[in-house]
Amino acid sequence: MVTLQLVGSLRKELADSLSTCRVLVVGAGGIGCELLKNVVLTGFKNIEVIDLDIIDVSNLNRQFLFQKKHVGKSKAQVAKETVLQFCPTANITAYHDSIMNPDYNVEFFRNFMLVMNALDNRVARNHVNRMCLAADIPLIESGTAGYLGQVTVIKKGLTECYECQPKPTQKTFPGCTIRNTPSEPIHCIVWAKYLFNQLFGEEDADQEVSPDTADPELSWNPADTEARATASDQDGDIKRVSTKDWARSTGYDPVKLFNKLFKDDIQYLLTMDKLWKKRKAPLPLDWLEHQKLTCPQGVTGTGLKDQQVLGVAGYCQLFSRSVETLHFMLVDKGDGAEELIWMGNCDDPPAMDFVTAAANLRMYIFSMNMKSRFDIKSMAGNIIPAIATTNAVIAGLIVLEALKILSGDVKQCRTGKFDSRNGELFSKLM
Amino acid sequence: MIEKEESIISEEEAAQYDRQIRLWGLDAQKRLRGSRVLLVGLRGLGAEVAKNLILAGVKGLTLLDHEQVTEESCRAQFLIPVTAQGQNRAQASLERAQYLNPMVEVKADTDRVETKPDKFFLQFEAVCLTGCSRDLMVRVDQLCAQHNIKVFCGDVFGYHGYMFSDLGQEHNYVEEKPKVVKPKTDESNDGPEAKKPKVDPNETTMIKKTASFCSLKVALEVDWTNEKAKSSLKRTPVDYFLLHELLLWFPALLHHSSCGSHSLCVPRFSPTVLLKFRTDKGRDPHPESFEADATLLRQIRDDVLEAMGLSSELLPHDFVSYCFSEMAPVCAVVGGVLGQEVVKALSQRDAPHKNFFFFDGMKGSGVVDYFGPK
Repeated sequence: MVTLQLVGSLRKELADSLSTCRVLVVGAGGIGCELLKNVVLTGFKNIEVIDLDIIDVSNLNRQFLFQKKHVGKSKAQVAKETVLQFCPTANITAYHDSIMNPDYNVEFFRNFMLVMNALDNRVARNHVNRMCLAADIPLIESGTAGYLGQVTVIKKGLTECYECQPKPTQKTFPGCTIRNTPSEPIHCIVWAKYLFNQLFGEEDADQEVSPDTADPELSWNPADTEARATASDQDGDIKRVSTKDWARSTGYDPVKLFNKLFKDDIQYLLTMDKLWKKRKAPLPLDWLEHQKLTCPQGVTGTGLKDQQVLGVAGYCQLFSRSVETLHFMLVDKGDGAEELIWMGNCDDPPAMDFVTAAANLRMYIFSMNMKSRFDIKSMAGNIIPAIATTNAVIAGLIVLEALKILSGDVKQCRTGKFDSRNGELFSKLM
Repeated sequence: MIEKEESIISEEEAAQYDRQIRLWGLDAQKRLRGSRVLLVGLRGLGAEVAKNLILAGVKGLTLLDHEQVTEESCRAQFLIPVTAQGQNRAQASLERAQYLNPMVEVKADTDRVETKPDKFFLQFEAVCLTGCSRDLMVRVDQLCAQHNIKVFCGDVFGYHGYMFSDLGQEHNYVEEKPKVVKPKTDESNDGPEAKKPKVDPNETTMIKKTASFCSLKVALEVDWTNEKAKSSLKRTPVDYFLLHELLLWFPALLHHSSCGSHSLCVPRFSPTVLLKFRTDKGRDPHPESFEADATLLRQIRDDVLEAMGLSSELLPHDFVSYCFSEMAPVCAVVGGVLGQEVVKALSQRDAPHKNFFFFDGMKGSGVVDYFGPK
């Protein structure tokens, strides 16, 4: 009769190994909170967790180790404190820091039996991937977005690494599309973000907003393009002066800004008639005309305030107000610090108001359906919808893979994919 | 019935639920906010389901459990503080559960679920049963279905788990599909003679659908002796093991030698065996009484398999080791799937699983399958 000793559901040898090894959890957000809970309840004793972020109210729908009173505090630190409440015997070290800090060198990684990623960006994933390869430590990689999730084990010499397969790059749009011929709301939103940077933030040569005379669609006749370029210089166009300098020279007058961006520049685009042979031509706006129209009064209906779509007049007003507020903030910063930073993910009201207004005015000009602040925030802030259950499932799968690694069953490790809409939890052997 | 939705979502709710409203929409969130749910059983699986539903933002969640906190249960779930030994499990979980989301009304009830009268269940929109006997699950399911209350069952045994749903004979929901891009004719907006350049590629449309569910009783009584039923069983290459579980759950199927090669019939555990253990002992296998429980489990295995005319070798000796306790990560997976099914059903959005979900933590694979009348 084989004596089989159990600790909970686990064979004793495995349980012993859990209580002595050290593991690293990279990230204490959506996946990280669920993962830390699973790791501790499964019996791991020595855990280190690192996260550079602080807690935001929008985290609270899924990052369950945090409460409203913790908003603004370090995720890694609060996660540790909460976990210790239900497992005081766990030995947890929390770092409020970036994993890419050179302090966390190969030697640091070698301390661990295994590393589990709970990250949300490619740069950090690439970095941890390389560190784990260099240290020859198994890495469990994972990710979730909405209803979808995935888990993969990466072990040098046994599996392909995170960077082995090319990953799709972030979508970018050609300059002429943004500056001359937008056809989708996202083009207008990108334009508005560029405009924000040109006026209030760090100016970037790759983020021009003025009409693009070097548009390839115009250049069938080089002499013609040359003439245009010269003409625009003589016009005292933005080509001569930086957008910010010009704006400064007007004292950031909202009406002057409005008329330049939404009337003069559009009228200039209209002279490039080649662009409008097959496209609907843009309609310039005039500040005074739209002033006459009545604004929508307050919020109606039962939706979220942010989900309302204001009319053109409403966005004119919003543009004007946000320009004034942002200018005030810029001035308030004082000489030397002449830049505001775009914080897409956080709710920075004046910046988001500005982008919402500018993008919508441009959409209107180019005959597109305008969008609510709610929708624009999604696109401008690259917000990925997220729920607790997808993270819970993925974090469960991560720990199951971890147990296999600890049992010496690396060959049994799998890549798991999960879609909570159809419940299919598909995994294949590495 | 779900209470008529309050029309306003507060700013606090909008901020906290932002990331999920962006996924399932405002209407779904409002429906969740109007729903009261009963959760029976606060072990590992129960705690996961509680967390998921509270975070989702239901109106109220009642935690029902008559058991006391033991030293082991402290280690098994994350809602019970270590100082709570001797207290009632639901009561001990209450504080931490409430902290998860102050906007949800969380209550604790210490009664035995078997003693609850019918009318107790009728105050909820959904009922979730974990750690319950087969008889109780069948009784509650039958009662709730009559009153259009959604019923969910689930359990985790070691590395394995399952869940079952009964959403009634007529469950209405919507599915979001991308809008078909058609060439535009002259449709004017608020601009002059406008011809829209392009349909927004992100535009979607909501399609109404209905799904019909059978009761748990009927699901367990399916006659699998006929060829048509057998051939309709889903077979996926990685899930032979899961199929084996089903085969033992529905003993009739095994009476036919044409059920396939013996490799199909090497299960590592059986819900049937474990449910029988639970009925006989009034509890689940426990590591502290491992020796005695393991012996009993093997005895039951022998009886069950013998009754089916199969060798007891089909359920290997060490199957017992996978039956004890609940594995935390398995609770997380099954609790995540179960939680999301409850959310889908209450919000009436997205296709529900019909009607079982099985998870094998050894393989890391899960499958949805249907047992019921065609």
